[in-house]
Amino acid sequence: MSGEASARQVPVAASRRSPLVARLDRSAGAVFILPAVLVILAFSIFPLLASLYVSMTRLSFSEGGIHLTYVGFGNYAKLLVGIDRTHFLGVTVPLTPLTAVVLLVIYGGFAFLLVRYLRGPGRTVAGFVGRLVTAVIAGALVWLVVDTVMTSGRPGTIVVTLIYVGVDVSAQYLLALGLALLVVQRLPGRRFFRVVFLLPMMITPVGVAYLFRMLTDTSKGPLYPLWAHFGLTDVSWVTNPWGARLAVMIGDVWQWTPFIFIVLLASIESLPIELNEAAVVDGANRWQMFWAITFPQILPATSTVVLIRLIEAFKIVDLPNVLTNGGPGTATESLTLHAYTIWRALDIGGSAAVAYMLLIVVTFVGISYVNLFRRRVTAMA
Amino acid sequence: MVVSYALLVAWALVVLFPLYWLATTSLKTPLDVNGGPFYIPFRDFQPTLESWRYIFVDLADDTFRPYLNTVVVGLTSTAITLLLGSMAAYGLVRMKYRVHIGAIASFVLALAGAVAVVAAGGPWQLALLGGFAFFLLLLQTVGRRFKRALGNDDIAFWMISQRMLPPVAVVIPIYIFFQQLALLDTWAALIIAYVASHLPIVVWLMRDYFQSVPLELEESAAIDGASRYRIFRSIVLPLAVPGLVATFLFVLVFAWNEYLIALFLTSANAQTLPLTVAAQNATRGPQWWYMSVLILIMIGPVIAMAIALERFIARGLLVGAVKG
Amino acid sequence: MSRYPARTLVIAVGVGLLAAACNASNSTSTGNFSGTTIRIVTFTGPQIAEPLQRRGPDFEKATGAKVQVITVPFSDLYQKILTDFSTKTNSYDAMVFDPQWMGDYVPSGYLEDLTNRVQNDTALQWNDIAPFFRDFSATFKGKVYTVPLDGDFQMVYYRTDLLQKDGLQPPATWDDYISIAKHFQGKDLNGDGKADFGSCWAMKRSAQSYWMFISVAAAFLQSQGTKQGSFFDTSNMQPLMNNAGTAAALDIYKQLSKLGPPDQLNNDVGDSRGLFVTGRCALSLDWGDIGPLAVDKSQSKVADQVGAVILPGSKKVLDRASGQLVDCNSTICPYAVNGVNHSPFAAFGGWSGAINKAAPAKTKDAAFAFLSYMSQPAQSSVDVTIGKTGFNPYRTSHFTNLGPWTASGMSEKAAKDYLGAIQASLQSPNMVLDMRIPQTAFYQQTALDTALAQFLAGELSANQTMAQITNQWNSKTDELGRQSQLDAYKSSLSVTK
Repeated sequence: MSGEASARQVPVAASRRSPLVARLDRSAGAVFILPAVLVILAFSIFPLLASLYVSMTRLSFSEGGIHLTYVGFGNYAKLLVGIDRTHFLGVTVPLTPLTAVVLLVIYGGFAFLLVRYLRGPGRTVAGFVGRLVTAVIAGALVWLVVDTVMTSGRPGTIVVTLIYVGVDVSAQYLLALGLALLVVQRLPGRRFFRVVFLLPMMITPVGVAYLFRMLTDTSKGPLYPLWAHFGLTDVSWVTNPWGARLAVMIGDVWQWTPFIFIVLLASIESLPIELNEAAVVDGANRWQMFWAITFPQILPATSTVVLIRLIEAFKIVDLPNVLTNGGPGTATESLTLHAYTIWRALDIGGSAAVAYMLLIVVTFVGISYVNLFRRRVTAMA
Repeated sequence: MVVSYALLVAWALVVLFPLYWLATTSLKTPLDVNGGPFYIPFRDFQPTLESWRYIFVDLADDTFRPYLNTVVVGLTSTAITLLLGSMAAYGLVRMKYRVHIGAIASFVLALAGAVAVVAAGGPWQLALLGGFAFFLLLLQTVGRRFKRALGNDDIAFWMISQRMLPPVAVVIPIYIFFQQLALLDTWAALIIAYVASHLPIVVWLMRDYFQSVPLELEESAAIDGASRYRIFRSIVLPLAVPGLVATFLFVLVFAWNEYLIALFLTSANAQTLPLTVAAQNATRGPQWWYMSVLILIMIGPVIAMAIALERFIARGLLVGAVKG
Repeated sequence: MSRYPARTLVIAVGVGLLAAACNASNSTSTGNFSGTTIRIVTFTGPQIAEPLQRRGPDFEKATGAKVQVITVPFSDLYQKILTDFSTKTNSYDAMVFDPQWMGDYVPSGYLEDLTNRVQNDTALQWNDIAPFFRDFSATFKGKVYTVPLDGDFQMVYYRTDLLQKDGLQPPATWDDYISIAKHFQGKDLNGDGKADFGSCWAMKRSAQSYWMFISVAAAFLQSQGTKQGSFFDTSNMQPLMNNAGTAAALDIYKQLSKLGPPDQLNNDVGDSRGLFVTGRCALSLDWGDIGPLAVDKSQSKVADQVGAVILPGSKKVLDRASGQLVDCNSTICPYAVNGVNHSPFAAFGGWSGAINKAAPAKTKDAAFAFLSYMSQPAQSSVDVTIGKTGFNPYRTSHFTNLGPWTASGMSEKAAKDYLGAIQASLQSPNMVLDMRIPQTAFYQQTALDTALAQFLAGELSANQTMAQITNQWNSKTDELGRQSQLDAYKSSLSVTK
């Protein structure tokens, strides 16, 4: 379970000290870890349970204040099969030849991986069941995305969120990695670039959202001459669902690339330089050096920062909220914005239900990620 | 080399142009903003300090008070988070610690008891003390009987999973929590909330940095008789300074900019600046010019901090080289 | 105190009472409140908070009560007040809020009943307040809960210079409006060489778009006076959202979405105002704010080129029995002007002061005295002329005294024009009251607003849109109890039968 930690432990010092210090030293684990655990636990357990309860209630007003009526899974049913289904899941349509082929290819890939695991050396029953469950849930999500995006259907808020997360985190990672590799070179002025590249992260998210609203305005924003040049003044990204989503994603990439950038930078900079030198002696080119030496060594840092970004990206709300308020129609509405919009209209039960659906999806993604990717990566390092 | 520079400059432009736009917008009149786009001061439009005057003179109280609150809450919560978080991260990396299910159950029970006492009208200080005593009691008696335990990785994952629920779902419970403690509209409430919600990030990031501290150094210190605490303070922490600095910047930025929790936990006294920024969009639509001023004065200190601390991140180079 | 005794009232009932009020002012509402602090919450920004803060010290001098204004970002004011009340934190003694929220706050027992105080406070000159705001906006189930500080309803603004040049009349019907918008769309209207727009509206989602839509729809849906209501059938709480009237309004709304700036779907009222006062639009639909804003030379390029008219109407209205449109006649549209049914919409309802029932008695007295002080003509007649405040006229004396208006920089012609449109709207017996029932926010902000956004974006057809709104409204009504929602709706309209 705790392979990475137990492998590298510092032995307890020989007991040359007083019994009190020795005792304190033996319980160092508790002293180090417990405060953080207790603070998080004390602060999170009540809100977690309270919002779970709220997600099963409906708010109403009565003399003396607000009243929560227990409705069981009613709020969840509304999202999955009821009146808000098209909003949450989207409009699905029967399979077309194109989507059928795409799905077959993806499911075939899943099946191949499962079979490979079964034939591999380290197979266990628990491992197989876990992977099977992962494949089934992932398969359902993939179907939802493919069937609402690649057809005449319409993606719901859950699909829009998955698109945001997928595109944003990949783009941020690639950009950040590229930038980090550029600034570790011994170029004059690199310290200037390092500080500059951090700037977007420091603006309050609401501020970034308003900033992008200014920038993307087609009639008085700075890009007006560009629009005018291409004769695009009478069309607007706002009226096109993908245009609006793209604007949101560009804003998110702009803001959060620095986060990944600085973690990767610190990680690359602390790598031992001798390996690279040896590789140069062996005649390796830069590309080979990167793939063979640098990349494997920064994988642990990569896996951490990507996990954090994944979790945070699922909660994207300020950009779509300010930029488009989820419009045109519901095209840019993320799950958190969905929860926030109905929460403002006092449907706090429905809002908590959306939030819990989000929690389920993120937990699924997080656990799959840690088990299938991160554990392998950290074991390698 | 030329290509590298071209790419660096290109991205720097992508980063800086929006900020330039903020700066010029803060110098424009509403007419210039709405009639634009105008790019270069003095040539395209006549700059004015009117918006700056409005924020600093007309709204002086509503600017400086939140500013002070933001600084105090940001720095204090970041310092505490960093301390608790790096301790936990070190523990999770270097010590085999197993939280027993029994201990967790005891804690939850004790907490529930304390909350019940407060809800019934008891003083919260007493409830907190009583709850803690109760927890120790349970732990020593009942808690020992449940031997199943969680490993270090499970603890770490549990921590990060606390950030998965969007704030909108938990903000009202959090409000009630602090209302019961009579801490609404205080620095303490915001600091506690930020420490708890940013701890997981510190723990995760610092784990990686501590892992790269050479084990041999710690081992030799241990053989010399240094306690764990001493090893942590005088060997591990100094070697992890680059990581600490990077993490410090993250957490500071998060606490500095947080909106929703600040909105609910504060009213007259402890409001922070993100609220002031968001509030510039009211019934008249976004007041771009004021908003630009506020965003600029908000990022000022953080940028200064980043410039001051950047060299410590760069020192990671030296550490890496020495460690070999 | 009252410098503008309103003796030339046309519609006020109690002229004698008013005269008495002028003499008796400065007596009843001011007591000795030294040592009391009134914590009053509203949204951040100069619109409401500025007048409160500016007049607070004067009030303190007169009465000893200190006024502390607490501000919260506009978008979260409702949730913030509700959370404070419902957890019994009670950090606010009074609030200046949207009276629509009475539908939620009054049944929960959070608001102080002000009926007696209002009747006993002669300085307030209650009868000077326009009847709509007095009898409908401030009143819920026959009791007064708020002191109006602002008159909010929508009007159409047009560029007098452009219409005059092309020999066009201001729009009387929505069809007129569309043809004028088509006429100017794509032409350069402010001489900067860029193509400008026929009509600029706030159509952004989760902003003000549903109010704009109701302004159109009301012309078809309500023709028999405020009590008829324009959202639900007052006999069975069936939504009036799936019929030929709504269909006609949706059609107009869609056409207008294409007769404006390209990103109109993403414009809120701040954007549309910015465009209008910089001369980029021939027409706009807005609250009273454009009047004072247009004369503010630091923001406006169209000073004295702006006219206002009552909301355009329709010659056909909905026959509720058949669901079809029928031609207006004197029985169907008793208040029609030249055969056109106008239904001016009091969208939002105007910022109003209310008092927290749980506040200490003395604080409540002080808070009421302050709200009354703010509303008294001596103060309010000046505040409504200041462009940066969000206060728009709501008292009869605000129209009859041109002094403060011309003093604020409006020409006499512009002032008459602007006030004339306001007066025409306010005096209309067919004014439309905004929805005020429990969970109004769901009906309008969530269900109606989302469906409209989806309609404009092409996600839903007109029929799907109407069906979706109707379904969502009905499902919420059934959840909350049809009878109790119906009772609330009827009492908001002061329907007693």
